[in-house]
Amino acid sequence: MAGKVVWGPEPTKQVWGSSLGRHSPSLFLQLPSNQTLRFRGNKAEAWGAALEGGIESSVVPQDCVVGEEEEEDQRPLKELPLCLEEKRRLRFLQEQAASRLSGWRLWRVEKQRTLRHLRSQAGTVMSYVVMWKSTLRHIEGHFGTGIQSYFNFLRFLVLMNFVASLLVVGFVIAPNAAFEALHLNWTGRPNNVSANASCVHYDPSAHGLVSYFSYIMDLLSGKGFMELTYLFYGYYQNSAVDFASFSYNVPLAYLLTAFFYLLFCLIWIVQRSVYCLKHSLVSEDASLGSYSNKVFAGWDFGLMQHSAVQLKHKSIRYELRMDLEEEALRRRLAERTTRQRATLYILRGLLNLLVLSLLGGGFFCIYLATSYSQWLLGSADSPVKGQYILELLVAYLPSIVITVANLLIPIIFGVIVQLEKYPLSFEIKITLLRNVFLRLASLVVLLISLWSQITCSGDPKDSNCKDCGYSHLFPCWETSVGQEMYKLLIFDLLIMLLVMLFVEFPRKILVTYLPSCPLLKLWGQQEFMVPSNVLDLVYGQTVCWTGALFCPLLPVLNTLKYIMIFYLKKLTLYANCRPAERTFRASSSNFFFLLVLLMGLTISCVPALYSMFVLPPSKSCGPFRGEPTMWNTVSNAISELPLTAQEFLEFVGSLAFAVPLFLLLSILMFYLMALAGSYSSMVKGLKGQLRLEGQDKLFLVKQISELSQ
Amino acid sequence: MGNKQTIFTDEQLDAYQDCTFFTRKEILRLHGRYHELAPNMVPMDYKRDPCVTLPMQLIVNMPELKENPFKERIVQAFSEDGEGNLSFNDFVDMFSVLSETAPRELKAIYAFKIYDFNTDNFICKSDLEQTLNKLTKEELTEEEVTLVCEKVIDEADMDADGKLGFPDFENMISKAPDFLSTFHIRI
Repeated sequence: MAGKVVWGPEPTKQVWGSSLGRHSPSLFLQLPSNQTLRFRGNKAEAWGAALEGGIESSVVPQDCVVGEEEEEDQRPLKELPLCLEEKRRLRFLQEQAASRLSGWRLWRVEKQRTLRHLRSQAGTVMSYVVMWKSTLRHIEGHFGTGIQSYFNFLRFLVLMNFVASLLVVGFVIAPNAAFEALHLNWTGRPNNVSANASCVHYDPSAHGLVSYFSYIMDLLSGKGFMELTYLFYGYYQNSAVDFASFSYNVPLAYLLTAFFYLLFCLIWIVQRSVYCLKHSLVSEDASLGSYSNKVFAGWDFGLMQHSAVQLKHKSIRYELRMDLEEEALRRRLAERTTRQRATLYILRGLLNLLVLSLLGGGFFCIYLATSYSQWLLGSADSPVKGQYILELLVAYLPSIVITVANLLIPIIFGVIVQLEKYPLSFEIKITLLRNVFLRLASLVVLLISLWSQITCSGDPKDSNCKDCGYSHLFPCWETSVGQEMYKLLIFDLLIMLLVMLFVEFPRKILVTYLPSCPLLKLWGQQEFMVPSNVLDLVYGQTVCWTGALFCPLLPVLNTLKYIMIFYLKKLTLYANCRPAERTFRASSSNFFFLLVLLMGLTISCVPALYSMFVLPPSKSCGPFRGEPTMWNTVSNAISELPLTAQEFLEFVGSLAFAVPLFLLLSILMFYLMALAGSYSSMVKGLKGQLRLEGQDKLFLVKQISELSQ
Repeated sequence: MGNKQTIFTDEQLDAYQDCTFFTRKEILRLHGRYHELAPNMVPMDYKRDPCVTLPMQLIVNMPELKENPFKERIVQAFSEDGEGNLSFNDFVDMFSVLSETAPRELKAIYAFKIYDFNTDNFICKSDLEQTLNKLTKEELTEEEVTLVCEKVIDEADMDADGKLGFPDFENMISKAPDFLSTFHIRI
């Protein structure tokens, strides 16, 4: 045994370990690196191995007593791995030492203590304020952290929408309502642009005898009397209000509120994703840690219910088996012949083309539906006027097509991805990516088709557009866009309600009362699919962001909608769902959800910014009538500021500032990338060194034990 | 608020607050839970730090621990006498480490103790096999168990000694994103 010394990166581990284990356990345990673990108690028979080495139990505590110089590095008592009696003894020693201090040091120690107390009390208070805390705890205990992460995300969205709605109500709606109630003076802005007579005419209220039914239709489609409320852009005045030597510029407030709403959401999401990133600790070798992660961090210690625990056992077994199978599959795949590989790649290429064509087909349908719906409702002599149900159907046609596409196409994707024979982890990722793309892109297509109708596909010379700069079929085009978003929001909620009532509850009832039917057994009980539910939420939030400029009350409606969704989803979770077979990894996905949300925000910023800077606002309605663009209001307001402020703002907005800033940021980014690269190569080098040190240690311990015998 | 409790002195409660991750209210609640496990043995007056320990059987029947496959190991890791008997101090310590606010490093130390079945300060192959069997209720085949254990040691063993020492374990835990959220008991 002694002659065989294997040097190199991978020695025969079993040989070393087994031979040394018998000879010198105590020597190993005397090594300093093993003293980071402190065993408890001196009477423990079971910890005999530790006592053999004669570990002194007082090594660690003495270092922790506060010395005159070490106050700053002292770890809080709570975090020491000692038993409670030792900690209390340490605390007593610390207090004694502190009482021997004087002057400035004493004051500092006391201030630190008060600060710690304040912090813990603030933490307690904050934990009372947290919304829905007990519900989330209950869900975590019964269904696991994966599903709880969905509800956590939903709660975050509710909070964000609530604060945003406070912002909007405080700066836009409340002032307007107050000014109207108080009958204050509205100083109108002079119309700079002489407008064509036909462009200024806008009267959405119905004339003559109106049936009661039409009010309900108007409520659902946002037309008629709804257009003359604070809900839509068209109602706001383009004037300022003067009172008590203070002039409240309504258009400016409207624009800046929308702008800051988007900015505020951006900052909050970025801050939260940084926080999630720190917690999930994405490392470069994330895929390599999967087995140890599943074994050591796989059991959810918080599970208490017996059925949940059984399911957890099952899911851990399933996951480990899946991983082993995937490993075996990968090995088999690597042994494929070139011919098999070529056929597979051709198949994959064809299937990807199929996916793209499906997406293209879906988008084309959405485009057609939107154009058809707008044309049918806009033209004065359309065949659907007067038939309420048909009118409502046509109004909701874009929403219906988007929802149908989002329901059917993912199912087809699921079938296609089975044929592509990817490894399981990649399969999940690519399905998710395709679904995200489908959802967000369908909204983009809707917006593009609206844009092409409003601006006559960007052609200002078109017969419809040459009078007003935008299509005269849309006397108040911002309100039309707002209406589409409003309809999407309502329809989303409606569909969720209908699916719950007519698909999930019946499924549960059928599966419970007809357990013997083979078809039902195949279908099984509902599983709570976290990714698709999260995508629904992100879609809803993107709709809200897109419509915020045109429909100021949309954040308020969205808050209410998400609160309703919380309770509905909670109901369906408890009543209908069984926990998933394959657990959803909460931590790594939190960051992914926020990333998708950020993508939605980026997409929704584009229409808002485009409308603000490029498109001419409606001349007949809204707070920007008479201005060439919405941003003009801000430029006018800036020109009323003092000269130095004007020059500063001009400088910030000019190229002379933007280009150097961009160059500076690019240099910083390249520097950080280079730094990250050097760190990762340093880590690799250190890992190799650690391996060699381990071998050195084993060799030396062996020599010592041999020499001492 | 609520200065009328007679179980602990204020000094003791302050000490508990400093030494654990619980507030005064939670410590009193924990005492209530400890007391209801054995109302005859646990005194209501802790002002003089009585030496009362409860046997493991009572502790592992708590609803929070009952369904946990590692319940005996958890109680043993926090027991001062090594046999699983917990005094109130150990009880509080246990739930403090398993609470939400305890840091990763502290949890890693105790997790290592929990998974070290033969208490030799290393997680060797037999420890891993026992862990796996507890996790899957012994329904994986021998071959699968061996394969998974080999993979875990491959992934985590940095100094190539065939078993996981505490530095290996801690390094692996720092890369395990789920650890903080799963190694957590609410009480």
